[in-house]
Amino acid sequence: MRDILSLFFAYAKSGLKSRFQYKLDAIVATFAVFLREAGGIIAMYLALLKFDTINNWNIDELLFLFSLIFITYGIFIVFFMALRDFSDWIRHGDFDRVMLRPRGLLTQLVLCGADWLAALGHGTLGIVLFVISASRVGIQWNPAMAVYYIIAVISGVLIQGAIFLFFSSISFYVVETGSLKEIFYWNMRKFAIYPLSIYNRFIQSILIFVVPFAFVNYFPAQFFLRKADMAAYPEWLMYISPVVGVTLYLLAYSFWRFSLRFYKSTGNG
Amino acid sequence: MRTMQTAKNIIEVNNLCKTFKIHKRATGFKGALKDIFHPTYEWKKAVDNVSFSIHEGEMVGFIGPNGAGKSTTIKMLSGILYPDSGDMQVAGYVPYKQRKEYVANIGVVFGQKSQISWDLSPLDSYEVIRHIYRIPPKQYKENLARYTELLDMGSFIRQPVRQLSLGQRMRADIAAALLHSPKIVFFDEPTIGIDVVGKDKIRKFIRTLNQTDNITMIFTTHDMQDIVKTCERLIIIDDGQKLYDGSLENVKKGYGSSRIIEAEFESLPISLDLSHAVVSDADNSGLKKRIAFSTDEVSVNEMMSALMNTHNIKDVSIREPEIDAIIRDIYEGRIVMN
Repeated sequence: MRDILSLFFAYAKSGLKSRFQYKLDAIVATFAVFLREAGGIIAMYLALLKFDTINNWNIDELLFLFSLIFITYGIFIVFFMALRDFSDWIRHGDFDRVMLRPRGLLTQLVLCGADWLAALGHGTLGIVLFVISASRVGIQWNPAMAVYYIIAVISGVLIQGAIFLFFSSISFYVVETGSLKEIFYWNMRKFAIYPLSIYNRFIQSILIFVVPFAFVNYFPAQFFLRKADMAAYPEWLMYISPVVGVTLYLLAYSFWRFSLRFYKSTGNG
Repeated sequence: MRTMQTAKNIIEVNNLCKTFKIHKRATGFKGALKDIFHPTYEWKKAVDNVSFSIHEGEMVGFIGPNGAGKSTTIKMLSGILYPDSGDMQVAGYVPYKQRKEYVANIGVVFGQKSQISWDLSPLDSYEVIRHIYRIPPKQYKENLARYTELLDMGSFIRQPVRQLSLGQRMRADIAAALLHSPKIVFFDEPTIGIDVVGKDKIRKFIRTLNQTDNITMIFTTHDMQDIVKTCERLIIIDDGQKLYDGSLENVKKGYGSSRIIEAEFESLPISLDLSHAVVSDADNSGLKKRIAFSTDEVSVNEMMSALMNTHNIKDVSIREPEIDAIIRDIYEGRIVMN
């Protein structure tokens, strides 16, 4: 464990050091991420002023739902950025170098790929949203709830990591997976901004069974908010995010192990 | 020469094969459309039944034209690619099965793909490498000091890599591949794009290191001078198959018996009726001729006197074929290797 931590810090130190070779760009990048994402929220906020509630969720509750996306994504890009951009790693030959080093492949990819500044942008926004909304939605915090919240966040990170581990494994066969990610991640994420219950059966099923984004924010948020629309789903769905996260990750991991042998590397033969 | 018989094999490769499925792309818009619905594939044997063994401490040049299969072979040897069939044992490991344990024993230098960060100094990158390989502090310090000196890196080791010359960057990259004291080092085009002085520094360093540390080294390169200046043994590969495996000397001796005489004659007409020789014009004047022959059939002496007895010669030069020319002949099938 100490060894893993020291490797993580060595990667982080060199990553930040090279990012801060261009100080202005680094600082602007952090704000740019923050402002870009905050812009989206402000737009939603303004639209919501007209509606008052969506499926009985008021704006603060929606922001709480939202904050989980940003907080999990902020942590996600600390650990899974290399997997998010894995097609590039293959295409540029960087994955060859990973294979030439005496450490687990995923150990290296997970520890080395952090985009700290984007993480700071997303994370700060998530925390700001959380702080604003959590105090206004009437959650009675107790230690058990705090623990559940932390577990829910970790699960959300793991679910998104697993989704990208699937995409990365597919890269071994087809290299470029940009459109797949667009359809099965980024679009699903856009859906997850609103309560699951507003969608038709088909999209709900996808968000529960195929790309289980519902377990990243909707069901964990329901644990705290207990909105009436939860009645449409079995109550235990609020508790199984960790199970979904771990199961999905293990599935993705075995698919990764299986697919590795199909890695073709780049170059001229 | 090292004692070939007693040295133990560090690399053993038997009947190695690797086939790639290649998408054959059609041309034109119609072809591109057809491609989407009915893609056609062909199978390319990148490595076709290749076997060889290399002893500890040997320095081997691995050459072949583009697409010959040398990169694929090196990638299998270094644990990056799974072979389709065949056996491999390198430093006591099966690379693709025991990748993590195995790669701690090797270093790989890609001339075209640096392993040190563009925006960091070599020293910063070495720090990360130290952690990845878990290099003990004492060994790290000693190696770093030694390679800084041998590769003359003192003046730029703290500068961001983007400010370095290609030759400096390459030296920094070579040191990066050696910090963990590997038993085998693979060099993939280590001098590409570097000027003559830079190339020389790198070759000299590699030779020194091989002699002092007994590190096994495998080179792939297009620059025959890399091989001539460093290796004793040569493996030539083309179309996925091994064409030649033996000493560099042998290539020169066995296939280098041809000579070319370039002669400038005093006046026309020139009537050369030489058996065992091929005569061609060396320029447009008609006065300069190139006479190619093999010393196995006629000696240089005989050829010269045959010329001088019949004509007045103003100037003459005799050349041995260069290693590049021999290799080109081997690739193009003009020389058949046994």
